Amino acid sequence: MSTWQIRFLSLWRREISRFMKIKKQTLGGPLLETFLYISVFGAALGSRIKELHGIEYIVFVIPGLIMMAFATNAFSNNSSSILQQKFLGAIHDQLSSPASPRELLLAFSLGGFVRGLIVATLTFIVAIVLTNLTVDHVLVLLPSIFLVGFFFANLGVLIGVRAEQFDDVAFAQTFILQPLIFLGGVFYSAALLPEPFETLTKFNPVYYMISLVRYGFVGFTEVNIPLALAALTAATAALFLLNLRLFQRGYKLRS
Amino acid sequence: MPAPALEIVDLQKRYPNGVEALRGVSIGIQPGDFFGLLGPNGAGKSTLIHCTTGLAQPTGGEIRVFGHDAISDYGEARAAVGLAPQEVNLDQFLTCEETLEFHGGYFGMRKRDRKERAAELLETFSLTAKARERTRALSGGMKRRLILARALMHRPRLLILDEPTAGVDIELRLELWHYVQKINAEGVTILLTTHYLEEADQLCGRIAFIADGQIAAQGTSEDLAARYDVVNLEDAYLALVGRRELSRSHVDGGVTA
Ligand SMILES: Nc1ncnc2c1ncn2[C@@H]1O[C@H](COP(=O)(O)OP(=O)(O)OP(=O)(O)O)[C@@H](O)[C@H]1O
Ligand SMILES: [Mg+2]
Repeated sequence: MSTWQIRFLSLWRREISRFMKIKKQTLGGPLLETFLYISVFGAALGSRIKELHGIEYIVFVIPGLIMMAFATNAFSNNSSSILQQKFLGAIHDQLSSPASPRELLLAFSLGGFVRGLIVATLTFIVAIVLTNLTVDHVLVLLPSIFLVGFFFANLGVLIGVRAEQFDDVAFAQTFILQPLIFLGGVFYSAALLPEPFETLTKFNPVYYMISLVRYGFVGFTEVNIPLALAALTAATAALFLLNLRLFQRGYKLRS
Repeated sequence: MPAPALEIVDLQKRYPNGVEALRGVSIGIQPGDFFGLLGPNGAGKSTLIHCTTGLAQPTGGEIRVFGHDAISDYGEARAAVGLAPQEVNLDQFLTCEETLEFHGGYFGMRKRDRKERAAELLETFSLTAKARERTRALSGGMKRRLILARALMHRPRLLILDEPTAGVDIELRLELWHYVQKINAEGVTILLTTHYLEEADQLCGRIAFIADGQIAAQGTSEDLAARYDVVNLEDAYLALVGRRELSRSHVDGGVTA
């Protein structure tokens, strides 16, 4: 292994070890939450709603839940990890190392990405076993879910770097992320909403992310898939480049 | 002639809030030097160190570490430096062993080397029994020791110690003196800031006084005393900060102003 590979893997390993040390909170909690959603929306509501667009309700909901788990875990891991390390000054250890801005950014973002991936994968496994969930378009699903994960991982980095207190991170999560995800159509189809909500939903970027992931799993969609995938790719790249710029400039990390 | 271990030319740092922490600082530290940077609170010592290690961004001037520019060639420059910061900045989630192990990784050390070096340093700093304890379970002095071990982990050629002995017991202070003298004798260049003048007197071959973001004087302890026309380093320092009346030489009745 070359020096930079060792360096990058160490930075990344540190991010993973952080959440692995507090598994109950970082993996256990989110898994329980997802299973509660599945029971409430699948079992309770599902007994009433039965089907949406010809798809069993629980199966319709699960892709959104998997995406939501990936996104929120990637986001909250990275925002808290970075803020915590800034707070304790521990991040100076990485910042005064020879690591490049790109290595630092990738390591921080991929930390939360892995956590999101673990929660999403475990949810997926349970869903495959317990429900009739299928994977119809794996070639849409994999790039979509990975892009969504990487997007929110980078959003977490951005919020963590900008944040000055824990309240800032909690605010972003509760007042921006959660509403966008909930109103993005995790639990329902936008077509079923009355106006103006149906139209408003179409301005919510998360709606397209959920649509992509749902299409990958169950083959149902209300959006133009290639266009949505292209837009998601562009948005993710733009966010990553913005973060890279900030890391290169030392924004809020180097005084 | 080999490149200086640390060469700072006309360094300026203005923080975003407008504070001019460094106003044209120049110093040169030769390989193998034991260099002391002394000055009152807020003089700019930590800022100078942060600019050297990438934690602060200079607004003017140049910094070279063994010939490597600290900005354009930061990888090489930082690889050569070990930093023990003024503030304890340990990650509470990590154990002592992991703290060293990760640090070694950030500097590209291989696994086997990391393990061996970490064990060696934990032993040196009497932390072996705490190797698997999380850092938050350490006492204040133990945290200081771990920070020193971390700074030394990647075998830096330039060791920067920002007030390493603040708040440590006498044994640790003396132990530390012995240790840094030993590694200095082995060739490691050392930049030390401290508020303990006898520490600087004892350890440092050369000393710079910094006040208000500028170097006021530099040289050996004797040079500085001569420069301010006093008998020792402490009096020179008091002259620097404009508090000659606090001199303890008066008490002995030896010197009068
Ligand atoms: N991050 C920062 N943002 C704004 N101003 C800062 C920052 N860090 C330090 N300063 C200011 O820069 C000046 C120099 O501070 P510095 O920490 O370098 O002093 P110092 O010589 O290390 O002092 P001490 O002996 O107390 O450690 C001070 O006026 C301080 O308030
Ligand atoms: Mg200081």
